[in-house]
Amino acid sequence: MRLLDPLWAGLATAGFGAMFNLRSRDLPLAAAGGALGWAVAAPLQAATGSQAIAYCVVSIAIGAWSELVAAFRKRPASVYIACGIIPLVPGGGMYYTMLAYVRGDNWNGLSTGLGTLLAAGAIAAGLAISGAVSRLILSAGGGSRLSR
Amino acid sequence: MDQDFAPTNPEDALLLAADAARAMLESGGETYRAEETAVAVAAALDGAEAECYATPTGVTISFFGLDGHVHSIVRRIKRRAMHLERVALIDALARSLAAGERGYAAAAAELDRIERLPGHSVAAGAAAAAAGAGFFALLFGGAWNDALVAAATGALVTSFTPAMARKRVPDFFTNLLAGAAATLLCLGARSLGLATSSDATVIGVLMLLVPGITVTNAIRDTIAGDLVAGVARGADAFMSAAAISAGAGAAYQLWRLLGGAMG
Repeated sequence: MRLLDPLWAGLATAGFGAMFNLRSRDLPLAAAGGALGWAVAAPLQAATGSQAIAYCVVSIAIGAWSELVAAFRKRPASVYIACGIIPLVPGGGMYYTMLAYVRGDNWNGLSTGLGTLLAAGAIAAGLAISGAVSRLILSAGGGSRLSR
Repeated sequence: MDQDFAPTNPEDALLLAADAARAMLESGGETYRAEETAVAVAAALDGAEAECYATPTGVTISFFGLDGHVHSIVRRIKRRAMHLERVALIDALARSLAAGERGYAAAAAELDRIERLPGHSVAAGAAAAAAGAGFFALLFGGAWNDALVAAATGALVTSFTPAMARKRVPDFFTNLLAGAAATLLCLGARSLGLATSSDATVIGVLMLLVPGITVTNAIRDTIAGDLVAGVARGADAFMSAAAISAGAGAAYQLWRLLGGAMG
């Protein structure tokens, strides 16, 4: 990972947050989530050699960060999650899948496509885990009937 | 009960619950959140046994009113655009109703205000898209000039897509055209020597278009048990991805036929 990559990830997240009509004073928090995710994801992927494991772990971290910020700001966590996972979301994978098919390399396209789907599944699984844990913690504290 | 606090009739409560759930789904809120919002609003306004069934394309709500009748309504959802501020405000509105901090009249006025909340202007949207595309180009290994080309292309492509949605051009066709335009513009910029890596530049722009969030949310809905909603979102994501890929792929083939360099 290059040193400035988390910064670019954070700034790209802020751009998407603004596109998603996130209010401007929440943008730095959302960007921090995106930068944090990328800073952990790249070394973890290099260490484990598995994109799916890295993305699942990182999504748990992004989910936890979002729940924390959400409790602090009294807003739904999903507002911050939607921005925080932007750098992980498999847009690049979709592009390389398409490129492989265009070049007539169907096998490469198939394996890249499956990897992309697996990455999306890993992100969703990570978020489900962090969501379930935070729900357990909140319900133990006797929170509202509405889930965060 | 206070006159402003209770709705005058069950239909008012029903309409408020339905509009809140619809606005939640139109703004990119999760399926379970839209359902919980509708149930919380209906229950807070004296509806017993409130039930809501939401999918990305429609909401059905019913409850047993104090007048002894069952009331229900169906709301169809046709356009969806991310508006996280609306999601947060509708969520807060449902909470304040459930907590009894707000009555019917105040809640109806607040929902009306939320629905009128403007999205970003075209210029701000273009600037945000430029930032998203440019920084993604850097993240995917592009150089500074690649980022600038991606930013300009991203701003251009995302400025014309909302106009096409307003003119009721099908999303499939808009995505097809956007994917092709983004790819051709980036390849053209590279052949003019403006960009160095066409991969990084094209990915930066396509990140604005590809349904990465939709794919992830489809799986999240399915994990949460909202199976129909998950499958519907998955189909939505698949069609967008197919359209963008077809557009980008066609642009690549055209470029190759015209003798342009790839890479």
